[in-house]
Amino acid sequence: MDAAPRSFDELPTDPAYGVPVPFAAGTEVGATVRDLDKRRVTQCALSRVCGVCGATLGRPLAFVGSRRELDRLSFHFPPSHVDCVESLLEAYADVVDPVLGQDTRPGDWVVVTAASFEFVRPGRDDVDRRPLFEPRIPALVP
Amino acid sequence: MAIADVKEYTHLSEEDVEQLGRELDSIRAEIEESRNAEDAAYINRLIRIQRGLAAGGRVAMLASAHTRAGRPALVAGAAMLGVAKILENMEIGHNVMHGQWDWMNDPEIHSSNWEWDTAQPAEQWKHSHNYVHHQFTNVLGHDNDIGYGILRMAREQKWHPANLGQPVYNALLASLFQWGVALHDLDLERIRKGEKDPKEMKRQLRQILRKGRNQVLKDYVVYPALSGPAWRSTLKANAAANVTRNLWSYVIIFCGHFPDGALHFTEEELEDETRAEWYLRQMLGSANFEGGRTLHVLSGSLGYQIEHHLFPDLPSNRYPEIAVKVRALCEKYDIPYTIGPLHRQYGQALRTIMKLSVPNSWTSSDQPEPPSPVRDRRRKSDAERPTRRPELGAWSRSPRERSA
Repeated sequence: MDAAPRSFDELPTDPAYGVPVPFAAGTEVGATVRDLDKRRVTQCALSRVCGVCGATLGRPLAFVGSRRELDRLSFHFPPSHVDCVESLLEAYADVVDPVLGQDTRPGDWVVVTAASFEFVRPGRDDVDRRPLFEPRIPALVP
Repeated sequence: MAIADVKEYTHLSEEDVEQLGRELDSIRAEIEESRNAEDAAYINRLIRIQRGLAAGGRVAMLASAHTRAGRPALVAGAAMLGVAKILENMEIGHNVMHGQWDWMNDPEIHSSNWEWDTAQPAEQWKHSHNYVHHQFTNVLGHDNDIGYGILRMAREQKWHPANLGQPVYNALLASLFQWGVALHDLDLERIRKGEKDPKEMKRQLRQILRKGRNQVLKDYVVYPALSGPAWRSTLKANAAANVTRNLWSYVIIFCGHFPDGALHFTEEELEDETRAEWYLRQMLGSANFEGGRTLHVLSGSLGYQIEHHLFPDLPSNRYPEIAVKVRALCEKYDIPYTIGPLHRQYGQALRTIMKLSVPNSWTSSDQPEPPSPVRDRRRKSDAERPTRRPELGAWSRSPRERSA
């Protein structure tokens, strides 16, 4: 069942880290921030909803991820509202582990905004079998 | 049945499937890199035409009430408004909400902002269509477009005596299509089984009621009221425009996945399939129809249903050139490319509706055999494949040739 969008304040809390669990990390009971929920990630991509709150995206689209993801312009976390990403980074400021499927801690994450994106499904030969989001021009780093 | 067991392509090795995927990737990249001002001009021009038709239709209806033009103006107004609604829903709204024009960075023509002229809220369409239908295309139990929850459209679906009423349900669905679509994302089946989150259901119902109310107010209260004493004529003309749009969009949508040759799948979880396998499922589950440029524009480019399912977020005006390449790939890899004239495709869908209203044992399946005989269609390992002849860019002999 596909869950309803929730405002940032209504997101469930991760029991281990005490931080909000974004829509893309799962909406079922017991969802955690350790990794992303592939089904929700696909839903975000195709329904064009925010990876944090699950509501319809606005403009511009905000992409959050590691410096490496920025360098290759290819993100694992779905596009989100700018406000939602800012709230997420604020809430995760004290998390020291690499959560949400990232390989760096939230303090090192960067945000990029863009007008559109391409959703790239994994291929057979990809080592990392997670879908990717490629922001399209104009991609702006605040 | 897993996608890998579908007999229409089990003659392909895993490497063939991946190579096909790579070739489709390169088609996608080529279009992405060549999107340009001409494409932007196409959608802008179409929106101008659509708005002109809508305004002209409304003005003609008003004029019919206050001038001697009378009935001809009313009929012309209804026709113009009907075409405007068709264009807005099919070629503009549907495609904008897929994100086909997001690359323009236009504040209005963007998947995040567009709200269309029909009863279903855009947000719910983007879930039920963009995600559920496009991700789980033709997967029984997942894709609610298979019969819209009221029609039995696949022989794998269990027959129930209520299916005897399918001809009637179908006629009702066609004429009230915008309202059927409006309720689509509610997922009546889940509500019936008590599986729907009550909070989400209430939220969606509020959205539908608000949007539906505005549609009714616009077409059946405000514009008729502006016509003064002739309000009844304007109301009827607006109803005619809406019914025309309903019937047309129903026909086009039912031609996309229900003609003979478009397959259904029963795999419950397909999220681990590779990109190439996903491409294949889209190709095998969709059907095109032939026609001129005007027909394709009026049908939201869904005559290129196969290309639309492969590349739902590429600009629709590029589908004709994509179709040439996709069809060539289907021939190269010996997989079906289902296509036919509109009347035949719809006729087959209608025949399926009628036949599946009775138990399977009373009728026979109309699914055509794959291009080459089934006996050839065990999936082969790469070691079993014949030598590729690079100078031809294809296998030395296709399965069809081998069976001849």
